[in-house]
Amino acid sequence: MRAALRRPAGLSALGAVALLAGAVIVLAHLLTGRSSIPSAEVVAALLGRASEPAYTVVVLDHRLPRVLVGLAAGALLAVAGVLVQAVVRNPLAEPSTTGVGAGAALAVVATLVLAPDLGQGGAYVASLVGALATGAVLWAVGRRSFAVTGVLLGAVLAAVTSLLLVVDSAPLGTVLRWLVGSLNARTPTDWALLWPWLALLPVAWALASRLNAWSLGEAAAVGLGLRPGPLLAVVLLVAVACAAAAVAAAGAVAFVGLVAPHIGRLLVGADHRVLVPVAAALGALLLSLADLVAFSVSVQVPGLATDVSGVPVGAVTALIGAPVLVSLVRREQRA
Amino acid sequence: MIVILKTTVPLGLVVGLLAGLCLGRPVLDPVAAVRALLDPADPAHVLLVEGRLPRAVLAVGAGGALGVAGLLLQDVLRNPIAGPELLGVSSGAAVVTAAVVVLGLAVPVVLLPYAALAGALVAGALVVLTMGRTRSPDHVALIGAAVSAACGGLVVAVVGLGTQGNVVVLFRYLLGSLAARGWTHVEAVAPWLLVGLVAAALLARRVETLTLGDEVAAGLGVAVTRTRVLAVVVAAVLAAAVASVCGPVAFVALLAPHLARRLARTVATRRVLVAVVPVGAALLLCADQVARLVIYPVEVPVGVATTLVGVPALVLALRSRA
Repeated sequence: MRAALRRPAGLSALGAVALLAGAVIVLAHLLTGRSSIPSAEVVAALLGRASEPAYTVVVLDHRLPRVLVGLAAGALLAVAGVLVQAVVRNPLAEPSTTGVGAGAALAVVATLVLAPDLGQGGAYVASLVGALATGAVLWAVGRRSFAVTGVLLGAVLAAVTSLLLVVDSAPLGTVLRWLVGSLNARTPTDWALLWPWLALLPVAWALASRLNAWSLGEAAAVGLGLRPGPLLAVVLLVAVACAAAAVAAAGAVAFVGLVAPHIGRLLVGADHRVLVPVAAALGALLLSLADLVAFSVSVQVPGLATDVSGVPVGAVTALIGAPVLVSLVRREQRA
Repeated sequence: MIVILKTTVPLGLVVGLLAGLCLGRPVLDPVAAVRALLDPADPAHVLLVEGRLPRAVLAVGAGGALGVAGLLLQDVLRNPIAGPELLGVSSGAAVVTAAVVVLGLAVPVVLLPYAALAGALVAGALVVLTMGRTRSPDHVALIGAAVSAACGGLVVAVVGLGTQGNVVVLFRYLLGSLAARGWTHVEAVAPWLLVGLVAAALLARRVETLTLGDEVAAGLGVAVTRTRVLAVVVAAVLAAAVASVCGPVAFVALLAPHLARRLARTVATRRVLVAVVPVGAALLLCADQVARLVIYPVEVPVGVATTLVGVPALVLALRSRA
């Protein structure tokens, strides 16, 4: 199946399926929510002709930004995952297990606590600075073992984040949700701040053939005329920037960056020239699908008066992602 | 290094104990503290006996137990970065405790260790089974991080149900804290710790054989799988008991065995086991003093202090080992 999918016809079929799935998910997002709006009115609101102004506000200012941010953040996380896994040559790596997510989270929490009036734009800059700084530290300290250093670095950064929250626990409720990743209450501003970062996706795609060479091993890559130092620096930079943008928009969502590249490899193989776009599409679909699950599922818990709903999307991806990870590891050990 | 360690460990215990008893509000000098401890008529007697002393005792006991848990895991999995915090054991216990706190289940403090233990064992078993035969620290770190992330997701899902007050309490707990712990807490964990320590001592010889390799150990008559499972269970019991009252205090269990191996100048499990108890105790006791006093009167959760101190020390220990 994999070989068939790699042929041009197979790839365009895959693209058609992805587009269709994306359209279904976007429609489902637009049609569901707290307030029930007739589907004709949703379409009318999209075209700017809704009969009630409230419909326009709900659809254009709440539902649409949420699904768009989910799609974009998912794609960015997945591409960051592909790049990190390629650099580390370890299929279990992902942005959030290498400390970069924690670094971005720390910086955002710091701005929320220390300089709350900077607003959303400030959070983006902070997230980027935090992630880049973490990436630089990782590069300087842990080149021999990215994974262990990354996990330890993540623990330290999380501890510092907690320290800030101990000193000022007022924003705890929002921050805690945000540390896990949530797409609740996204606004058009979020989308406006996020979409320019999608320019990183073609940059990552352009690196694909070099990543293929690098994945053959360092000696082979050098033999093919690559200079490992600059290449790794650039790839890591792009990966960190992708992760930072996604974290700023959606919080430190776990496992999308891990699972999307793996499903991509199962579908089309390890050629990065195909894998990068496929993983990006998968990441976008996965995150927005998980978000759909997160906000439409409501569970009754015995002993609680209200139903449980509005779970942050990060909790859903973590619960789905962990078993997937376990099965991936087992497969790899058998191979 | 060894000489420094040998003097630091008893010094740390003494200084930590003195600071734990004397500092705070009111500050007592050591003589006054001892007098108040012994004399029921002294105005500071209740504060010392019901407040500062149980907290220090708990720190010593929990620190020692964490050290033993870390040692068992590292030796039995033959992996220098095995520890309850990276094997998901701590976060498994956290999930269950979070559920108890937030859902307001009427679980008495004495029964909390059982509930936490169940969570710890499930998460630990998941990681250990997934790990299989791999010895690569990278692999283990990533699997542990992933399972911990999944548990973190669960915790947040549970916390999402709670009220703001609960969330703050829970957040404190999730970082590991020794604040406001009394004799009830000590009594709740003491039996668990005693059973765990005795079991660890009984297992030590077999674990030591296991460090030579599975084949060698089997040739010497050790039941490899049974020993490994037993040791992981004992480590989970110790870590879960501690986590049930103090929260997941990070990096004591991971760091203490590395320091203890230096101190004992050997990697032989039985001799390191003797050294790891005071090392772990001194680490947690001193970290708790830092947590209590550094921005007094605000308490920093001790888990934050152990992470900030423990990780750089661990990196150094791993680096000089390689």
